[in-house]
Amino acid sequence: MDLTGEQLIAAPRQRVWEALNDPQILALCIPGCEEVVRLSDTAFEAKVLMKIGPLRARFSGRVEMSDIHAPASCTLLFEGGAGSVGMAHGQSRVTLDEEPEGTRLRYAAEAAIGGKLGQIGGRLIDASAKKMAGDFFGALERQLNPQAATAPEPAKASAPAVTRPAAVPGAVFAAGWSGELQRLFWLALGLVLGALAARGLPF
Amino acid sequence: MKSAPFAYRRAQNLAEASALLREYGDDARLLAGGQTLLATLAMRLSEPALLIDINEVAELKGVAIEEGKLRVGALVRHVEIERSELIARHLPLLSLAAPHVAHAAIRNRGTFGGSIAFADPAAEWPACAVAADGVLVLSDGDATRRVKASDFFIDLYQTDLRRGELIAAVEFPLPGPSRRFAFAELSRRHGDYAIVGLALAGDVVNGKLADMRIVYFGAGNIPVRAFAAEAALEGTQGDAAALAEAVKRLPENLAPTGDLTTSGETKLHLAGVLLRRTLPSLFNNERGR
Repeated sequence: MDLTGEQLIAAPRQRVWEALNDPQILALCIPGCEEVVRLSDTAFEAKVLMKIGPLRARFSGRVEMSDIHAPASCTLLFEGGAGSVGMAHGQSRVTLDEEPEGTRLRYAAEAAIGGKLGQIGGRLIDASAKKMAGDFFGALERQLNPQAATAPEPAKASAPAVTRPAAVPGAVFAAGWSGELQRLFWLALGLVLGALAARGLPF
Repeated sequence: MKSAPFAYRRAQNLAEASALLREYGDDARLLAGGQTLLATLAMRLSEPALLIDINEVAELKGVAIEEGKLRVGALVRHVEIERSELIARHLPLLSLAAPHVAHAAIRNRGTFGGSIAFADPAAEWPACAVAADGVLVLSDGDATRRVKASDFFIDLYQTDLRRGELIAAVEFPLPGPSRRFAFAELSRRHGDYAIVGLALAGDVVNGKLADMRIVYFGAGNIPVRAFAAEAALEGTQGDAAALAEAVKRLPENLAPTGDLTTSGETKLHLAGVLLRRTLPSLFNNERGR
């Protein structure tokens, strides 16, 4: 399964990069994310509660960054699963390009899906992945531009922000970019999990 | 495979069901027909702590004409719609669509409200509810609010239902004598979820189309209304030129996402095929039959 997409984010590249590498911010932006643990400078583990359609399962996944060219690009290797529901592994190439209006983030992921999710068929994988990516970028945009993006959002059950310790946008800078790629990994993970979730639908 | 263990409660009325929903939140699921829920439980795609059986809730049942509206209760089974004389007479769109809902065995148990609350992007009833200007009656056991079907579906499997709320019924305005309906869908096997489907409604006055509803399902995350195509057909006789223009303008509202078997481009093409194939039946039938 291949997933590609891009998103314009109204923030400088360095800031986007830092945000994408801040576990705290990632945890706030990934739909259903419950926990992010940093295993090393380039590896993370995350627990995500996926709630799409009939699927409601806890995935845990591991993301590792490689080929890092901060703040321009990196490759994320990910693997994860949710017990008997299914598993996925793959990789995603993420690039950040500076543009007059902000930063353009592009991702190209390829993933293999197994278990029941893989068997059921992929009627809505792409749609689910796109929705997850959309939710993620929307939340990221709100984190980076709290004042600009406070436009009324439809209350999303998936928005995890309420229960989480508030991440002050300034923290993004403080965090530096040692964990830079982790964010991207999360994104990739989210996309893949979304894809997996979509598989559950074809009854 | 078997479901993970869950508790089971049978609610006797709306208030009780709603109170349980509020108490258990995400850990509870409503059990109506169970045609999607039980399959996904058996596959352990979710493991709710509690199933709230609403099959005995009288407020959710029945098809009736009330205050100039057709009211279809949330617990009405697909098969009841398929066989209802009342629906065939007043809102034949639902009668036309019913045979396309899965298979007979599923239609015997699955419910109208369940399908709408689940909001599968390729399901028939959400699109029909939008095309027939349905209004959802949502209840939290205490207060009732009404939401237009066209506002109810927000995104993929995401609806306007709030915590503790259930769909009680869907109300449809009674169509006037010149209202016509048509329905079609493409699927690889009958009973499968549609690759693309179309629910059509429109007035035919002196051979001309007016007040069209062109609503696609399986072509987006929610039912998609093709406003541009509607505008292209408004006031025309649905002739070849108007139809070609309408098909040409479908991409203004439709941007289907592909799936494993069908690309987005193919779905868009098929949407045009369905419109060409289905529109003429608005003219040559009696109330869509």
